[in-house]
Amino acid sequence: MKIIDAKNIDFSYDEITHAVKSVSFSVERGSYTTIIGHNGSGKSTIAKLLIGLLPCDSGSIHIDGLELSLSNLAKIRNKVGIVFQNPDNQFIGATVRDDIAFGLENHRIDSNLMDDIINEFAIKVNMFEYLDSEPTKLSGGQKQRVAIAGALAMNPEIIIFDESTSMLDPQGKNEINNFIQELHKEKDLTILSITHDIEEVCKSDNVIVMFEGKILMEGKPCDILNQTEKLVACNLDIPFAQKVVNELRLKGISISDNLTLESLVSEICLLSLKK
Amino acid sequence: MSIEFKKIDYTYSVNTPFQFVALKQIDLNIEMNKVTAIIGATGSGKSTLVQHLNGLILPTSGQLIVNDFVINANVKVRNLKSLRKNVGLVFQFPEYQLFEESIIKDIAFGPKNFGVPEDEANKIAKASLKLVGLDESYLEKSPLDLSGGQKRRVAIAGILAMEPDVLVLDEPTAGLDPQGAKQMMELFKKLNTVHNKTVLLVTHDMEHVYNYCDNVVVMKKGEVFLNSSVNTFFENTTYLDELNILAPNIIRLKNMLKNHNIDVSGCDDIHSICDKIVKELK
Repeated sequence: MKIIDAKNIDFSYDEITHAVKSVSFSVERGSYTTIIGHNGSGKSTIAKLLIGLLPCDSGSIHIDGLELSLSNLAKIRNKVGIVFQNPDNQFIGATVRDDIAFGLENHRIDSNLMDDIINEFAIKVNMFEYLDSEPTKLSGGQKQRVAIAGALAMNPEIIIFDESTSMLDPQGKNEINNFIQELHKEKDLTILSITHDIEEVCKSDNVIVMFEGKILMEGKPCDILNQTEKLVACNLDIPFAQKVVNELRLKGISISDNLTLESLVSEICLLSLKK
Repeated sequence: MSIEFKKIDYTYSVNTPFQFVALKQIDLNIEMNKVTAIIGATGSGKSTLVQHLNGLILPTSGQLIVNDFVINANVKVRNLKSLRKNVGLVFQFPEYQLFEESIIKDIAFGPKNFGVPEDEANKIAKASLKLVGLDESYLEKSPLDLSGGQKRRVAIAGILAMEPDVLVLDEPTAGLDPQGAKQMMELFKKLNTVHNKTVLLVTHDMEHVYNYCDNVVVMKKGEVFLNSSVNTFFENTTYLDELNILAPNIIRLKNMLKNHNIDVSGCDDIHSICDKIVKELK
């Protein structure tokens, strides 16, 4: 069942920058999809088109069967949450509590209910004891978790992450990546994540590769991430394990594609036993 | 020539309710003509530390020496301009600071501010642009029409145009696509090896630390946790475990192979490791 269905969408910022060129793709309900692509390939523009922050020049977008249009905008935004890149740019409240409340207030949730909802999602993202903390007291990873709590509190069906971990330190990045994985598993939430993190791509169900405003390839990570030449040509990278595989093949070893070091090393051990 | 931090403390918003100690008793020597990585968790003091290097913030106590320049806490600093010419500081997302109508004007802005005549400034701008790997066809273009990676190159060229001996960069590859990040790191390595610049960079990327840096300074809660060569740092996984940092791929692969009794000691790149694996399999 398709929860996102984009058909022939087009968008230009001005006469020169044709950011998205007749792009069609769909996302299955409950799946984890990643979008990769070089800087300026149109990834973030697509995210903005999907939540109606930018209007398509042509083409159509359906979210959960509902066509994205001006009259449907509020309904669509109830279904789609988004977390952006910079933790400092999206912290609106004076405290964590205010920040999570912001979306709820905008949706005119009864203030009697609001406290319970805020507590629930603060606990969910492990920020309950910080409810009255100011943003300056929080790390980048903590701010991103608050942003996620704010998005979750709207009870969306889809969450879009637009390079949400790229400004975090390794620990913050792990923390958020693991958290996204958990959410995906337990809530049947549809995840669409724009990322440069190849490890995250390996763990996703599907990956879409953007190049100069168009979709170059899409499919399962194992069928995409082994295409070394194509990926490098569009300024991307392949997993380290696959680099080792490529090098071993050059040296005459017959070995299968591997996305992770764990699977690579077990295959090497098997091969070594068989020799 | 040296960069030395001597018992430096830095406190933000002294004597206010927001008072916050960012650096505690920093004693640190930075080796000249090397590439040094500054790593550490968010809020560990990395950015505060590097902003001392060109006097953007001044120590609350202690002494900083950068080449011939000495800054003592609570003593009025004279001639900061000469320090700032010597140490070029590139902020996070420097491309947001591009503002001129053409790339040549943007790059020449710095040297002109330091009193270099226009002709000479333009000459330097051209050379700096070449240094960051963009050709002269870009000179008259608007910096705002470039891609993310190109913009960042132009912003860095603007700093290089001041011909600093020391280049300090705060997370220079954040947000760049993988190849863009790789080219950027290769540029810094070249500025170090070919042009003899001392390079300090704040980064979260252990692959970059391993592949491009000579030394590493680890910051933890406002203190220097460790200052060592990159090789020593990654040799000893206890440091990495203590800091909760995942080792670079090469090291992880080596450790995993070692655990399976495949000997890869002495190998430090993908080619030599693969040679050993091939030997093992044949």
